[in-house]
Amino acid sequence: MEIYLPIAEMSVHWLTILGMAAAVGYLSGLLGVGGAFLLTPLLIFYGIPPSVAVATTASHLTASSMSGAIAQWRRRAVDFKMAGVMLCGGLAGSIVGVYLFGLLHRLGQTEVVVSVGYVLLLGTVGGLMLDESVKTLRAAQAGTTPPLRMRGHHNWVHGLPFKARFKQSRLYISVIPPVALGFSVGILSALLGVGGGFMLVPAMIYLLRMPTSIVIGTSLTQIVCVTAATTLLQSVTNFSVDIVLAAILVVGGALGAQFGVRMSSRLRGEHLRLLLALLVLAVAARLFIGLVTTPDDLYSLAVGT
Amino acid sequence: MMRALAVALALLAGCSAAFAQDLVSGLSQDQVEINSSYAGTSIVVFGAIEGEDPTPSSPKDVVVVIRGPDADMIVRRKTRIAGVWINRDQMKFGGMPAYYYLASSRPLDKIASPQTLARYQLGLAYVTPQRILGTHRPEKAEPFRVAAVAERARDGLYAQTETVEFLSYSLFRVHIPIPATVPRGEYTVEAYLFRDGTVTSAQSTPLYVDQKGLERRLYRFAHASPFVYGLSAVLMAVLLGWLSSLLIRQPR
Repeated sequence: MEIYLPIAEMSVHWLTILGMAAAVGYLSGLLGVGGAFLLTPLLIFYGIPPSVAVATTASHLTASSMSGAIAQWRRRAVDFKMAGVMLCGGLAGSIVGVYLFGLLHRLGQTEVVVSVGYVLLLGTVGGLMLDESVKTLRAAQAGTTPPLRMRGHHNWVHGLPFKARFKQSRLYISVIPPVALGFSVGILSALLGVGGGFMLVPAMIYLLRMPTSIVIGTSLTQIVCVTAATTLLQSVTNFSVDIVLAAILVVGGALGAQFGVRMSSRLRGEHLRLLLALLVLAVAARLFIGLVTTPDDLYSLAVGT
Repeated sequence: MMRALAVALALLAGCSAAFAQDLVSGLSQDQVEINSSYAGTSIVVFGAIEGEDPTPSSPKDVVVVIRGPDADMIVRRKTRIAGVWINRDQMKFGGMPAYYYLASSRPLDKIASPQTLARYQLGLAYVTPQRILGTHRPEKAEPFRVAAVAERARDGLYAQTETVEFLSYSLFRVHIPIPATVPRGEYTVEAYLFRDGTVTSAQSTPLYVDQKGLERRLYRFAHASPFVYGLSAVLMAVLLGWLSSLLIRQPR
């Protein structure tokens, strides 16, 4: 049951990897997130070199967002113009991110930057989600509906120049926020091996004020393209994409996601979001503990280069 | 370099002293092939001491060591900065063996003096880099070297055992593991015959570890044409993603 990974140059128990991918796929199908923020740490914990884990997860994300994106394309719930604009920033971000990743790797600071990045990101996003879902649940118990956000109410985003019309989103806004959003998610995708859906979706809803119905499709479309570009760039610059590992992850993820999607229809949205928030916070807490507790071995070894 | 010279000298000494005793050793295989189900293997090193007296006057010892492809290692030490443990000091070692496995017939310290062991780099205490980069004071590098050796030992890539077994007064045999995590490359298997604390004969045999079949082609592909490789990884992902979207749609 062992399979040899040609790029990671190690053999792994392929059923274990498949199981890990399926478990993450299940959660991502259940909660509607890519799940890379769970998969990358899991792979590193298993012993896959961090550079290979981060780069290979990007190609796993291409596949899992692809299947979601296709479903949204069929429903025509995608603003392709918005996705294209975000993609411009996303590709630039991905190039910067891959370069940064190589630099950090040479400096020996990949581990700490990846961990600190995850703690900050997951801590913030998890905290916000927890806050929101608890409020929604409380309001539901009290029998009232939570106050809706003021739609059409202008914020600072609408004061920026270079305005463009986004027909599908029924928006007339500056292209700067979507490009900047795409850029930062592109960097995250290359640096942390995450798709960034859990950042993109709230930002598009609350910052850009896009209609919720087309947010998922648009962000998935953009994630497919950015992660595909990241995979390509990681292959060319860092030679760190393991195609055998990617195949196992994709198949496992797809299997798990099927069950997750079926399960999700039986659970309520608020409960799902609460679950996701707790999960995100748990990962952040685990990584934070790793950063601040005294390690068993102060020394670490990097072989090669 | 010093060690290579020492081995060469020992080999010469072995030749000139052939009339007395000579060590002849061989491997069960001179090539290890890594294929898709490779999960580590082991080779057998066997040998004979020619012209050995059944009742020798002084004890003899055999040490077999395999070491393989020279690798550059960077060892980093974490320091607490603002509550977070961050890699700070680092030491670069050039030419450390990626894999080191030593088997002896008795504990090493009973076989020869530390000086002799150090000259041939026999034992984990004496595995040293060919070059130290990043410091001019070798004594500062010592804790880093010890840490590197310890980490390799934890990963099962450096080991020191006493597993050489004598089958008769002149025949010996030892099983040497080749773990799944060893890198591809050229290894050397050295066998030493010790008597009264000195090397009286030595033999060195190369061993090749290489990927085979699909694994080798994929590795070459990834490095020779990375763009096409990346493109096919993306294509595979897109295709599988599309397939799974069909699968997910069906039951609904």
